[in-house]
Formats: sequence, structure tokens, C-alpha cells
Amino acid sequence: MLALVLDDSRAMRMILGRIMREAGFDVVEAGDGKEGLERVQTGPVPDVALVDWNMPVMNGLEFVTAVRSQPELRRMTLMMVTTESEHSQIVRALAAGAHEYVIKPFTADAIVDKLSLLGLVA
Amino acid sequence: MTLANAVVTAEQITAIAQDVWSSFLQLDLLPVENVPIEGSSVTGCVHVSGEWGGSIFLQCPAGHAQVAAEAMFAADPGSLAAEEISDALGELTNMIGGNIKSLLPAPSTLSIPSVATGDTYTVRVPGAVVIEHVALACGAGDLHISIWKV
Repeated sequence: MLALVLDDSRAMRMILGRIMREAGFDVVEAGDGKEGLERVQTGPVPDVALVDWNMPVMNGLEFVTAVRSQPELRRMTLMMVTTESEHSQIVRALAAGAHEYVIKPFTADAIVDKLSLLGLVA
Repeated sequence: MTLANAVVTAEQITAIAQDVWSSFLQLDLLPVENVPIEGSSVTGCVHVSGEWGGSIFLQCPAGHAQVAAEAMFAADPGSLAAEEISDALGELTNMIGGNIKSLLPAPSTLSIPSVATGDTYTVRVPGAVVIEHVALACGAGDLHISIWKV
């Protein structure tokens, strides 16, 4: 199983990457939505992407929208991991095609629980 | 200190900061007397625009920022570059700012964080006034959080 960790903070990519590796995933990283989109279009399609919202160049919502517009990427599960916690923004992300929504700060257990709900870990 | 026109209380800010610091750094923040931070420090800032406009600042001594970054990167003491310490403080600012934004009038948007580091610098938000300031501390040093409203 392959996970894409998409966050403009290198520290956050390291924390999420560590959690995903411990959950049994191989991990690739990107620092903004455009870089993430290029990675999933040119490399193997990840099983899941953990997506920050506020990033330079292309934000997380734009990334989710772009991924959902491409049939060849449709099987990728999208989980927002963000500080954006307004109800209207959660609704926007889910309407755009995100499957799950985790608000920072989070615990490793919260991430793994969501992965379990999505059937990505036992 | 909760000011008359505050929309977020000191208790709410304290709870958010304590949650972030304990979740990501395993450090316990407690309220302390508000004493200006002297010497080299790091300041992170995010701006909120929309129904509510203003900025949220975090300031801590450089040593506290270094300890925080080492915890986030799981790095050895003294092994991180200044850029990595700024990255970590920026993300901590983003998390605290984002959670404070959720208590402010919506809808609004949060900027990407910016970080300043040094011995002598002044941060200003033209036309803004401080509506809340919280002083906290843990074993790594003080942490000041202030909310400015435009």
C-alpha cells in the first residue's frame, strides 16, 4: 500500500510519514498540491493521500478537485488533514471528493482509526 | 488577560495551545505571568481574512523553538538547521491559528504562516490592535500568543 503525504510543512510530512509507515504503508511526499498532482500523474497511484488544506501554489481543496476530475485517479482515497475546522469548509472538502477529514492537532490513533474506517488497515 | 472586545477568551487560547503542545511535543504548557521575552526569539504569524480580520502571533525564545522542532522532527539536540526550526514553528502557528480561527466569526480564510527569528525585531500589523494576549510556559521556556484585530 502506498500513501502520499501532502503538506507544505516538512515537519508535518515527517510526523504523518512516520505514522503511515508504522501503519504499514510505503510513503511518498509532496509540498504542495501541484507537486502532489504531478507525482500521482507520473508515478504509481497512491492508495491514499493525506492532504493539507492551506498550501502554496495549489491548495488541498484544489488538489482534491483535480484528482476527482481524473478517472484514472478515482481509486485513490483522499483524507484531508488540516487546521481548517469550519463546518462549511468540511462540507466543501467532502463535496469535492474527500473521503475523510481530520483536524490538526491529531493523534496517531486518530489517523489510524480513520484508515481503519476506510478499510485501508486491519 | 481577556479584553473587553475579545471574541476569543484567554482560556480558549490556552486550551488550544495546551492541546497542540501536548499532542505534538509532549510538553505541558501552564499559564504564567506576562513578562516580555528577551534575547533571541522566534515569532510565527498567520493572518485571518473574511468575516473577521486580524492576525495571530506566537512568540517564544529561540531555545524553546529549537526544542519544539526537535520534538516534531524526532531529531537529536542541536542537529536541526534554522530553516527546519522555522518550518516547525510555522506549523505550530498554523495549528494554533487554525483552531483559534474556528472560534472567530465565519467564513474566513487563514494565510500560510510566516516566521521571523532574531534578537532585535519588531512585528507590526498596520491598523490592528491587540485584543488578547496569553503567556504560557513549559520546561522549554515561555510561549506568548497574541491576537490582533484589524
